[in-house]
Order: sequence, then structure tokens, then C-alpha cells
Amino acid sequence: MEWTNFIRLLNLLFNGALTSIQLFFYTLLFSLPLGLAVALGRMSKRPYIRGPIKFYILIMRGTPLLLQIIFVYFAPSFMLPEGFRINLDRFVAAVIAFSLNYAAYFAEIYRGGIESIPQGQYEAAAVLGFTKSQTFFRIILPQVIKRILPPISNEVITLVKDTALIQILGISELFRVAKNESSRLFSTLPLFVAGLFYLAMNWVVTRLFHLAEKKLSYYK
Amino acid sequence: MQILHVENLRKSFDGKTILSNVSLEISKGEVIAVIGPSGSGKSTLLRCLTLLEKIDQGKITVEGDVMVDSPHGHPRYAPEETLRKIRLKLGMVFQNFNLFPHFSVLQNITEAPVHVAGVPYEVAKANALELLEKIGLADKADAYPYQLSGGQSQRVAIARALAMKPDVLFFDEPTSALDPELTGEVLKVIRALAAEHMTMMVVTHEMAFARDVADRVIFMDNGQIIETGTPEQIFLNPTNERTKTFLQRFSENG
Ligand SMILES: Nc1ncnc2c1ncn2[C@@H]1O[C@H](COP(=O)(O)OP(=O)(O)OP(=O)(O)O)[C@@H](O)[C@H]1O
Ligand SMILES: [Mg+2]
Repeated sequence: MEWTNFIRLLNLLFNGALTSIQLFFYTLLFSLPLGLAVALGRMSKRPYIRGPIKFYILIMRGTPLLLQIIFVYFAPSFMLPEGFRINLDRFVAAVIAFSLNYAAYFAEIYRGGIESIPQGQYEAAAVLGFTKSQTFFRIILPQVIKRILPPISNEVITLVKDTALIQILGISELFRVAKNESSRLFSTLPLFVAGLFYLAMNWVVTRLFHLAEKKLSYYK
Repeated sequence: MQILHVENLRKSFDGKTILSNVSLEISKGEVIAVIGPSGSGKSTLLRCLTLLEKIDQGKITVEGDVMVDSPHGHPRYAPEETLRKIRLKLGMVFQNFNLFPHFSVLQNITEAPVHVAGVPYEVAKANALELLEKIGLADKADAYPYQLSGGQSQRVAIARALAMKPDVLFFDEPTSALDPELTGEVLKVIRALAAEHMTMMVVTHEMAFARDVADRVIFMDNGQIIETGTPEQIFLNPTNERTKTFLQRFSENG
């Protein structure tokens, strides 16, 4: 392949990757806090909160993300009552589907982390007079974050690769761009380079999580 | 002056009565040792008094404020505002220390004064350093709990409780989780507090300590207070058969 063609290919792939990266960040932005709320709901003593949340987690983890993406994109345009039907922007639909899906996974990780904190921490905080929310945000959550960093990093790495799924909505993310170029050029090179792009992104993710883990290694 | 007053406390877990008919009072400056066999309800009593467990019946008063009463057989706790006020007067030291692992020793001690009591950080810090000096750990201010021995951890836990300036401090077997050679340093701190007339209620299996330090000893068995008296009365002239048996078993084993 000629040099200029290769530059052109890189440029196309780079633009595709930007879309993937945007989806990646929007998903984290919404699903990380949403997951915490879901985890708290999942642990609620009230069955009318806990029940629906359990069902939500079951659906999100029990069905393919690909199906969820399609559902979120098409459902509002035919399931809502006449007059309320809307056409979601494809990228917006993708962000919604990803955020809902990843929140469910993050919720279960948060829950595992929260439940692993010894009861004594809550009791010590209670007798010192900390309120429930102070106890959670000052005492419990910081310890939870340290414990859940490894499983969260797993999910985040998966997220980088999952962004390829939104090509089902015809969005030109990295993988779709590579596939198109590949068939246009009768070459596997674009796919191979796309693979390197994913690898590079996950290398950054891995590095960042390593740094975070190191930063929190000042205590045990 | 009475700091704490308990009348006819009853507590059960899943329908099983754990504490019944428990009445006691703690006066200012008094040191009370609570002894009794395993499972007799000592920890549960302390947890009820420090609001970690809810009682099923009875009345608890802290310095005139009613924490809980049960005029019709059902417990009615004071509004959260009053409970908050009461909580600030009660301190607790746990068997397993329960230090906050992500905070340095200093922050373990200053966190509650600053964020619960609203003490300015500089004041809380000065006070914390003073407490650390007192318990002989001035050099550990910046250490993290995982770097401390059990005895040091427990001393920090005591400092953490003291930093809130409680009117009464409860201890639940403060030395039971420690290697024998480390119990001394913790008991020494508690002795020093007793000498300053800190009001304390200590659940302990250290009979020698109870005998030397306590003004009053409470013997519990089967969820009830069986006998209470001065250390001389309890250790030298116990009147109840169960007290005698318990102390006998202790002197045989120890
Ligand atoms: N959360 C709980 N749920 C059910 N039962 C409990 C609970 N906490 C304590 N118990 C029961 O209450 C009884 C008294 O327990 P407690 O821990 O108060 O005894 P203790 O006198 O402190 O014993 P030890 O000397 O072993 O610490 C025991 O039979 C125990 O099994
Ligand atoms: Mg106990």
C-alpha cells in the first residue's frame, strides 16, 4: 500500500476511534454513578425497591448487549403511544443502552465491595456519631473503591471492546470503519490496524488503573 | 451525679431472650467492671447502651435525657436529634479495635471531632497529638493502622474515642484480641484513665484488672445481673452460687 493511502486509512480509523472513545467516556460518566445508585437499591431493605432493581439487573446481564442496543434505539419509535413516538438519535440510543447495561455490572461490583466491608467499620462510625451518609462517603466508600478497582478495570477493558457493537446502528465507530475499508481494499490490514488501536486504548486503561491501585496502596 | 440509668432492660434476638431485668446505674467518675461467662449477654448489654442494638423493653436515661422508654411495653426511642446528643456522650472501644484502615492514626482520631463535633481542624489535631502523647504513641501519628501492633491499635482506638470527650466510655473486652504480652500496655492506659476519674464500664475477662481498677463489679449470667458489689465483695465474699462457681472456674484455669 502506498504511503498516502496508509495515512488516509489511519485518518479514517482515527475518526472512527474518536466515536468509540466518545461512547466509552459517556458510558463511564453515566454508568459509574448510576451503578452506585443501583447497588444501593439492590441492597435496600424495602422489597418494592429491591425487587424491581433485581429484575433490572437480571435483564441487563441476562440478555445480549447487542439486543439492548437495538431495543433502546427502536422501542421509542414504535412502543410509545401515538403522538409520543420519538426517533432517538442513534448515538444517544447507544449511550443510553451502554449506560444502563454497564450500570448493572458496576452495581454488582459495588455491592460485592460494600458487603465486604466489616460490620465493625459501621459500628465504630456509629458510636463516634457519624451520620449514615457521612459513614458511607467518608468511611465505607473509600475502602470499597480500593477493593473494587481490579474488577472495575476488567469491566472498563471490556467496555473498550464492546463499543464495536454500536455498528449495528450504522454508527461509524472504529470497527465498522475498519471493516468497510477492509472490503473496499480487499485487505485485512485495516482490521489489523484497528486491532492495534483497541490494544493501545486498553493499554492506557490498564496503565491508569495500575496508577490508581498504586495510589491507594498506602494502606491495607 | 448519675450519668446513666437503666431500668428493666429486656433484649431478645429472634424471639430468644438474651437480656432480661437488667437494671443498673453509672455515676460520674465510676469504673465498673462487667464479668461473666461467655454468652451471658455482656456485649449485647454494651451494644444496647451505645445504641448499636435496639432494646425490646425498659428505660435508659443518659444524664437526664431519656434515650428510650417503654411505657406500654413497647420501646419508644427519643427523636433522632436527642439520640445524636446522647451518642456524643457515649464512647466505645471494641474488642477488634475497628480502626479506619484508610486513615492515618492522626486522622482516625481527628475525623469525628472535625466532622461530627465541628471542632476546627487545628484544635482537633492539637488535641489528638496530646492524646497520642498520653498513650505513648506520639511517633505514630502518621502511621496507618496496618503498621500497628494489636496493643498499639487498641490504644489508638481508645484515643479516638477520647477525642470526642465522652462522658462515659464503654470497653468490650479491650484486650481479648491481643497477645498476652500486649495486654499490659492497654490496661495501663485504662488504669491511667481511671486515675483521672474517667467514667468507664469495662467488660473484661482480666479478673486481676477488674479487682484492682473497678469501683464496682457486675457479674452477669444468662442475660441477667446476678450480683453487683465492690471488688472485695464480689471476689472475696460472693453471695450467689453462680458467682462462686464462675470465679472458682476462673482461678482454676488462670
Ligand atoms: N446479632 C445477634 N443475633 C442473634 N443472637 C445474638 C446476636 N448477638 C448476640 N447473640 C446471642 O446473644 C447471646 C449473648 O451474646 P453476647 O455476645 O452478648 O455474650 P457475651 O457475654 O458478650 O459473650 P462473650 O464473653 O463470649 O463475648 C449469645 O447467646 C449470642 O449467641
Ligand atoms: Mg462479648
